[in-house]
Amino acid sequence: MPSRIPMLPGSSIPHFFMSDTFLHDAPTAPTTAPEWFVTAQRDAAKRFETLPMPSRRDEAWRFSNLKALDPLDFTQARPVVQELAKQLLADSIGFEASLATLVFANDRLIANHADAHLAAQGVIWLPLEEALRIHPELVQRHFMRSESAVGTPKLLAHHQASVRSGTFLYVPKGVRLSAPLQAVHWVAGSGQAVFPHTLIVAEEASAVTFVDWFKSSGEGRNMACGVNDLHVGPDAKVHYVSVQDWNRQTVAQQSNTTAVAHGGSAVHLGLHLGGVFARSESVSRLNGSGARSEMLAATVADGAQEFDQRTLQDHRSPDTWSDLLYKNALYDTAKTIVSGLIRVEPQAHHTDAYQKVRNLVLSAEAEANSLPGLEILADQVRCSHGATTGEINPEELFYMQARGISEKDAYRLITFGFLNEVLERLPEEALRKKLQETLRTRLQGH
Amino acid sequence: MSLVIHNLHARVSGGQEILRGLNLEIQKGSVHAIMGPNGSGKSTLSKVISGHPDYEVTSGEVLLDGVNVLAMEPDARARAGLFLAFQYPVEIPGVSNANFIRAALQARLKDGEELDAVDYYGDLYKEMDKLEIPRTFTSRSVNEGFSGGEKKRNEVLQMAMLKPAYAILDETDSGLDIDALKIVAAGVNALRSPSVGMLVITHYQRLLDYITPDVVHVLVGGRIVRSAGPELAYELESKGYDWIKDALTEDVHSEELAAV
Amino acid sequence: MSTEVISQIDVDRTRGDFSYPEQHTFDAGTGLSHATVDYIAEVKQEPDWIREFRHKALDVFLSKPMPTHWASKDLENIVFDNIRYYLANSQRPTRSWDEVPDDVKRTFERLGIPEQERKFLAGVEAQFDSEAVYSNMKKALGDEGVIFVGSTEGLKEHPEIFRKWFGKVIPTGDNKFSALNSAVFSGGSFIYVPPGVKVKHPLQAYFRINAENFGQFERTLIIADEGSEVMYMEGCTAPKFETATLHSAVVELVAMKGAKIQYVTVQNWSANVFNLVTKRAIAHEEAEVKWIDCNIGSRLTMKYPGVVLKGRKARGEVLSIALANNGQHQDTGAKMIHAADETTSNVISKSISIGHGRSTYRGQVYIPRHLKGCKNNTECDALLINSTSRTDTYPAITVRGSRNSVQHEASVSQVSAEQIFYMQQRGLSEAQAMSLSVNGFVNDLVREFPMEYSVELKRLIDLEMEDSVG
Repeated sequence: MPSRIPMLPGSSIPHFFMSDTFLHDAPTAPTTAPEWFVTAQRDAAKRFETLPMPSRRDEAWRFSNLKALDPLDFTQARPVVQELAKQLLADSIGFEASLATLVFANDRLIANHADAHLAAQGVIWLPLEEALRIHPELVQRHFMRSESAVGTPKLLAHHQASVRSGTFLYVPKGVRLSAPLQAVHWVAGSGQAVFPHTLIVAEEASAVTFVDWFKSSGEGRNMACGVNDLHVGPDAKVHYVSVQDWNRQTVAQQSNTTAVAHGGSAVHLGLHLGGVFARSESVSRLNGSGARSEMLAATVADGAQEFDQRTLQDHRSPDTWSDLLYKNALYDTAKTIVSGLIRVEPQAHHTDAYQKVRNLVLSAEAEANSLPGLEILADQVRCSHGATTGEINPEELFYMQARGISEKDAYRLITFGFLNEVLERLPEEALRKKLQETLRTRLQGH
Repeated sequence: MSLVIHNLHARVSGGQEILRGLNLEIQKGSVHAIMGPNGSGKSTLSKVISGHPDYEVTSGEVLLDGVNVLAMEPDARARAGLFLAFQYPVEIPGVSNANFIRAALQARLKDGEELDAVDYYGDLYKEMDKLEIPRTFTSRSVNEGFSGGEKKRNEVLQMAMLKPAYAILDETDSGLDIDALKIVAAGVNALRSPSVGMLVITHYQRLLDYITPDVVHVLVGGRIVRSAGPELAYELESKGYDWIKDALTEDVHSEELAAV
Repeated sequence: MSTEVISQIDVDRTRGDFSYPEQHTFDAGTGLSHATVDYIAEVKQEPDWIREFRHKALDVFLSKPMPTHWASKDLENIVFDNIRYYLANSQRPTRSWDEVPDDVKRTFERLGIPEQERKFLAGVEAQFDSEAVYSNMKKALGDEGVIFVGSTEGLKEHPEIFRKWFGKVIPTGDNKFSALNSAVFSGGSFIYVPPGVKVKHPLQAYFRINAENFGQFERTLIIADEGSEVMYMEGCTAPKFETATLHSAVVELVAMKGAKIQYVTVQNWSANVFNLVTKRAIAHEEAEVKWIDCNIGSRLTMKYPGVVLKGRKARGEVLSIALANNGQHQDTGAKMIHAADETTSNVISKSISIGHGRSTYRGQVYIPRHLKGCKNNTECDALLINSTSRTDTYPAITVRGSRNSVQHEASVSQVSAEQIFYMQQRGLSEAQAMSLSVNGFVNDLVREFPMEYSVELKRLIDLEMEDSVG
């Protein structure tokens, strides 16, 4: 059962912008935003205007459908009306057993619920605008400090110039949170652009699991241009899950960077279900020796959906480890791209880095593109990548049918099993069950 | 003519000292056994003598027929007549056994001399037959996908082909069932001759049932603490290593007293 | 076992490093313009359609940017204005070794060409700078209708076959360097094998750059008619000049129904040669094309042999070995374009990077929609010898539709310290141990090479490894 999330009075939501277009010429910063932030937004706005749009000639956009991604088709999202906010809140189920939940509608906070123990442990759990007001230096140290490398500076500038809210989560040294925290991001209306932001800072030897849910209200064509940055401190553990479930008209661009200090470990799992064109960029930087990162994604692509996934496993220190597993199930005329690079810097000896891409093609018209790359500049490394594309094994199908399962059910079961291999890598059992349920629902009708 | 180890001190580079003043002399024609509990330095000894780069000699000498080998590269030591049968033989993908052994033999010839291929295969097959190794072995990659028994047989085969002056067998019995052990031991025994000195390193007395040593040494704490005839192995087998450790404590005590 | 004879054959890494003084009857001068193209067309007395083809190609070349958005920036160091595009002494190769001019003859004799011809080749062509100086084929093959001549001779004397296929596998505008070649090509081989004829022994071409600042642009076209079989081998060397040299060839293969073509390259250019080559084949129904490509020399090689699998059940294969030492970048790979049902392709690439060397694999596998039963298997293995060595892998795989199967695997490894110690313990020096390991790494691929080449290859690897340890 959904927990009841108390709603904030609308008046307490600060507004960073008066303007709702992307001319960015005169952003009116709230009195509460620190000056560095205002300046950075202004600079980002200039960059957004002057930088060129990417082209397919850019390696990071090879095979991609750039036509789908014109930011000027959308205007900065306007607030939703009170009744809709109430409705969205009721639908914001997310993960029931979470310690804290933020709910956003069109980039405005509409609810904040947090377990009282969090504050007592020194955990900072705030919407971004509040964090900027209360902890400006702490936010400044981490806010959009990581270079993306697999995307385009223009879209990142767009995000930075336009971001108005999001999640700020700070976990102090040694604090290990027992259950996940989460945020639900809604977009409503049509022609609206939202800029979801998540910034997680996990200090030394802390542990946290966090889930972002991305959902649409109604069938309007909107754009999401999000950023989630994870800072994993020494010996800290951060597990991040995103469930991308925008409606089938939405154009989505999500950029992640995960920076892992020595001895730290990160898991980044994406369940990609929605959108008409959805691009996700994920970068893991293993900055300290012994750092570990697991990069996982399960994608269901059907209809005319396009999923464009770009990854970088960037090994900058010795004795680091990364493992990527991306799986796509493709129906109808769907298209997927997985372009991944393992880069081992000259000093990063004794690195283990693995990358696996698996495509299950279930229709004659679907198209799977795999671009698994390696750049190895160190030695004593163990690196491998593999990419396979194929159909369901007829023997498996027959075996199921021989047990009395219909062909259609067998197909769905095998496809679920194929993607579930990714979800199984998530250690949190209850959350995993929730994701499995979400995946099962998504596969209904196939 | 002997292999003399004199006051040998060694450690893993930068680590704790493992060998702490080890003395040993192996004459040609004799078989010595070294026994010792886990961690006593048995495998370190074999690696240090053969020049493994992970180990560092802090003092002492290893004299092969009077020549100190410690300054020599591992391959020069091997060509000087030293052979190590590895406890864990290494897999070398893509390099066939026949080519490998051939290359090792060729390395022992003078520049410009060529190994005769016909003689080589003649010798190789003869030694393989003794060790009951099938002919398909020659084209398989060195140790790749070999069972424990196959690997150890391969070590003995190489020893037979390379004809060392001194051979160190490092835990050659580990991972072998009794049948494989008998074959390997028979292979080793066949190589016993007045021109070879052997050092058999083992944890268990079992191997010494098949390869009877002339002298048994007990290694504890990086030093030889007892040396006697083959009967010492049985004593260790029945009493265990604790007995010798207890005895050693007394020794150390008296040594310390002597030092004072 | 090919390794058995290694030590009996004397191959020298530096054996290509010598040159004789130049005396050229034909010289297009330095730099590239439409006048250069006219000069070449006139000297070669070519038909108008070729002259026109060249001029158009030059325009394409000039209009195309350097592909540096994905390729090495080192390309920018090629100064096209400093290159000499055509140098030759004569317009017709001799059929008899005795008639070859003395200094040229000495060159190829030092490289062992006539010897090899006697030993195991069905035909030989030897190109010196822009033109073939010697071309000969066993008489029996000529009687069977096999044509093996230079490209100039091919286009003039066999226009009915030549024109049909020339530029059809690799269009002028395929890339900047195929356009360059199309504008100034000279030399290379034209081979036609009539239906059902199986050429038992390999045909060989040997390419030699002798002049400094020279660009070699040979053009090879091989057509294997229905059910025929042919193996072609090419080797190449150049002296070490102070300045960079350019080699930019275009090679087109056509395997008609059921035909088999094997194309073997052992590239051993000196380390100042930009080697930018476009190689592609069309395989018709049940035809089989195999590229065996070995790159040891050059400063920068960019070469991705491809097969367009056009007919049902066609098969394509690329076996590639690259060895990149200090100052070298081997950027090689394969392209497999599946255009018919039940086509299969196989790519095996092994690269070794030594010292500051860099090796790169680029691959493309393309299976468009509505095809069924297509299969690709790709394996890329890279071996790094030193901590300063670099390797990259950049494959691109597109599969449409559910009834195909594609598998790509890549790995990076090192020669382990334990392996080296084990071999040293058996008496091998560190360099010998390293050589043995590297040869082990490429062994399964080398076995696919014709015997004589595998021997040379192993020897070259040994020589490259000698200075790499320590």
